[in-house]
Amino acid sequence: MDTPPPVLPVLVCLRLLLAVLPLPGQHLLKHDNQLSSPLTSYLRLNEGLWLLDNGIDPYMGGAFHHSPLLLSLFSTIVPPLPLIWAVSDAVGAWALLRIWRARQGLSPHKGTRSNAENLIVSVYLLNPYLLLPSLALSTSTFENTLALLALMFASEGKPSPALLAIAFTVHLAPSFILLLLPILMLLVASPASRLASSRPFHGSLKRIPFFFGKFILYWLVLVGAACTMTGGSWSWVMGSWGASLTLPDLTPNPGLWWYFFTEMFDHFRPFFLMVFSVHLVIYILPICIKFQHDPLYAAFLLVGVLGTFKAYLTLADPGLFLSMISLFPEVHGYLRHPIITTLLHLHAALLLPLQHVLWVSEGRGNANFYYAASLVMGMAGGAGLVDACWAGMRIAIGDAKAEAEEKVEGEKGKVVQWEVVQE
Amino acid sequence: MRRVSVWVGLAYLLTPSLALYQGENYKEDLRIQPLRDGRVSTTFSFVTVLEGAVPRNPTALGQPDESQHYALFPLTLGQILREYAITELHLTLNAGKWNYDNWGHPHEAGVGTGAELWAWMGASDVTTVDERWSGLRNALSGLFCASLGSLDSRRTSSPTVAFPLSGSTPPFAPHELRHASLPSENVCTENLTPFLKLLPCKSHAGLAALLNPQKVFDADWHGMGVHVIWKEGTGVELKLTLQTVFNPVRTSAGKRRDWSLQSLFDRSIERSCPVASSSSVTVILPEEKNHQITPQLPAHVDGLAIYDLSSSSNLTIPSNIAMYWPSEHSFQYPLPPLLPLTPLSVKRTIHGTTQTRGVLYVSVTNNSPHEISAGYLEMMPALLTLWMHTLKVEINSQIRSDLLSALNYHPPSPQSNGRLSPSMLQAILTIPAKSTLKISMEVNKAFLKYTEHPPDAMRGWDLPGAVFFPLPQSTDTISSSYDWERIYTPTLLVDLPTPDFSMPYNVIILSCTLMTLIFGSIFNLLTRKWVVVEIPE
Repeated sequence: MDTPPPVLPVLVCLRLLLAVLPLPGQHLLKHDNQLSSPLTSYLRLNEGLWLLDNGIDPYMGGAFHHSPLLLSLFSTIVPPLPLIWAVSDAVGAWALLRIWRARQGLSPHKGTRSNAENLIVSVYLLNPYLLLPSLALSTSTFENTLALLALMFASEGKPSPALLAIAFTVHLAPSFILLLLPILMLLVASPASRLASSRPFHGSLKRIPFFFGKFILYWLVLVGAACTMTGGSWSWVMGSWGASLTLPDLTPNPGLWWYFFTEMFDHFRPFFLMVFSVHLVIYILPICIKFQHDPLYAAFLLVGVLGTFKAYLTLADPGLFLSMISLFPEVHGYLRHPIITTLLHLHAALLLPLQHVLWVSEGRGNANFYYAASLVMGMAGGAGLVDACWAGMRIAIGDAKAEAEEKVEGEKGKVVQWEVVQE
Repeated sequence: MRRVSVWVGLAYLLTPSLALYQGENYKEDLRIQPLRDGRVSTTFSFVTVLEGAVPRNPTALGQPDESQHYALFPLTLGQILREYAITELHLTLNAGKWNYDNWGHPHEAGVGTGAELWAWMGASDVTTVDERWSGLRNALSGLFCASLGSLDSRRTSSPTVAFPLSGSTPPFAPHELRHASLPSENVCTENLTPFLKLLPCKSHAGLAALLNPQKVFDADWHGMGVHVIWKEGTGVELKLTLQTVFNPVRTSAGKRRDWSLQSLFDRSIERSCPVASSSSVTVILPEEKNHQITPQLPAHVDGLAIYDLSSSSNLTIPSNIAMYWPSEHSFQYPLPPLLPLTPLSVKRTIHGTTQTRGVLYVSVTNNSPHEISAGYLEMMPALLTLWMHTLKVEINSQIRSDLLSALNYHPPSPQSNGRLSPSMLQAILTIPAKSTLKISMEVNKAFLKYTEHPPDAMRGWDLPGAVFFPLPQSTDTISSSYDWERIYTPTLLVDLPTPDFSMPYNVIILSCTLMTLIFGSIFNLLTRKWVVVEIPE
């Protein structure tokens, strides 16, 4: 059957144990603004379930922004237990593993006994950016898992499950629409690594509109299901999807939107909301065109864009980007400043909770401290994204030094140094 | 002949011609009650009745109104009531915290701190209730020089069970309630002056002559109220009330609780109001008999000393009513434990040291020997998000969910002006005898936009008090009076996290710079050509 790498069962058991055992600081994690946002908070999920139980429209006030699908899942099928988050983490790690196997051209069920597979699974399950929000019971875990499942099915060339998974993801978090085009490209091309040998898009473009139509069909079915669950009203659209677009709740988070729109005057608010939303969308076409030879890498870069510029950012979003780096070991040698990225992330991850406590709990700091830490977080995300973009293209050029040596072999043996730059 | 006609004319002018005041009736009353902690509570009530009058039908608002002629009823307020077709109106402006345990129930139940305005209006197609409510607020704020215009949709809700129609319901149109309160509103002389202008005799004659702003606003608690009620047999009744709680122990030299009208108000009643059909001062005598009251009355009825001041009485107007305790050297506060004077004692606090979240605790103590069922109303502005799934009811740290029933919760709903209405929580609590019930729920404090903060943002926001009200009896028994009235909890001050107010430009610059840097770097990378360049030696 499925031969997992030896580390996977161990880590999954550990994660299940963490979900079941009562840890000392676990109830504090649920309230932390870095680990969950108003769109993903466990507290608001429970509030929505209570409102639904008592016959009140959950989307009427400003408290509940989750999707109706989550409401129906947790009210009818299974209560919101921490075990579900642990299972979701395990499924996400397994999906990442299968993406790796598809990319390497291996059979999905039988991997090699290399350390790469151990590394990939550990990087997903032990990443603090992903583990802590999962322990805080933030629903961003489900969003990440569904996105990875969509990429997994697309890499293995299964259109229907992939389109269904991405429809679910887009329904839960509309900003994942950025991943739609890479997934459509993946479905008609192969996920194998083509970074080093770029060529124009070789899949059949004719099938893409057909897959897009199928996605729209699945998405409409989900919209209909959500409408049925909320009793035929459309208030959930404004409450759950509209929250990412209109930013009703200005709770601080590690992202760039909240302080900008706190300090913005009402007159300019709609314009800048539109600018910030369009800014997210504007990355899709250029990245997909430039990386048309490797749609999986394009999806990875777009996950990085989301992890820096999303509306209600939590640590789980850059966490997905950082964990997916393990899928592309070929670019690791070409990263220009991995140390700077790491240090910026470390800097931000340590400063964010500290400045939050100083501002809000102790009253000794003010909002600017936390804002500065969120700017560092933005820089860390930007540094990682820019570096990954550079490395993904630089690998196609190859090693200039070797060419130079060959070229001067016939001459006096003068060594000429060459370097690859952009102009 | 001409001199006789002049004398007849003068005599005609001097005698009060009752024909002019037909259909209107004015009564004034002052109740003085010494309290057990040495304070003195005084309640002025000025009642003007428009006999046979009916509130305006709101469906007829498009047509011109029939002309109204008032002699005693204030024209300004009458015009407002007709303009917006108000059936019942209650406005109170109070300052201070009413101490129910030591002072008992007030004579007028509306003692919530700050401004509280509620009105019952009939529904109409011509103008909506909300439009008339907005017009009413602005008209009253102009009339009373109070900032009632800020009682907009952020503070307006509709708690029909706690604030039912006190009078009769007119047959036309279903009626709707609008209730709003602003705890941070201050009361001062500029509110008292227009209040006095609504009286027939203004502040020149009658009991209103006692109202000295210097003394009234120095009192420990003071509040004024305007109540307009329609009673079917009687007509439209306007009741203007002013309640104060003075502290003679604080203001007297020798820490004595002796009081007199001169010492309390620094004024005396010179003349009685000629148009008042009855004008009296009632002193509620304390139970211990070690006091003396001057002027002496022949008989005290039911522990009350009633002084009739109307012009038709034979007695001369007492120049000063005084009560003193000759055997006391200085006032000694009664030692605890003191039995509270009301059957329910309430307390409300927010626990928590952070500016993001806290826990709201409401504790109700039943001082009476039998079980009490009370209604609980919480109208919380959207600044505080109540997490209803964490609502707990406990007695002595033991969870008792059975004591809370009929829970009705309206979350904040977005209004037309983009703001959120308050969240309204109503429940019925059953408090066992001689026990303390604690309700607790977690709350989240909101992060407001830069423009939503007031100029003194660091002060915080006032939250209106919760209201405990007796439940309306389901049977139509004649006695609709309860042994207790509405109780207001004290207001709360909540501290919200503030952004840095000096930073709008800087934030926009910095955030946009970061986004532009990353955007520019990525697009540079994506669009530039790769070349291999020789490094010169």
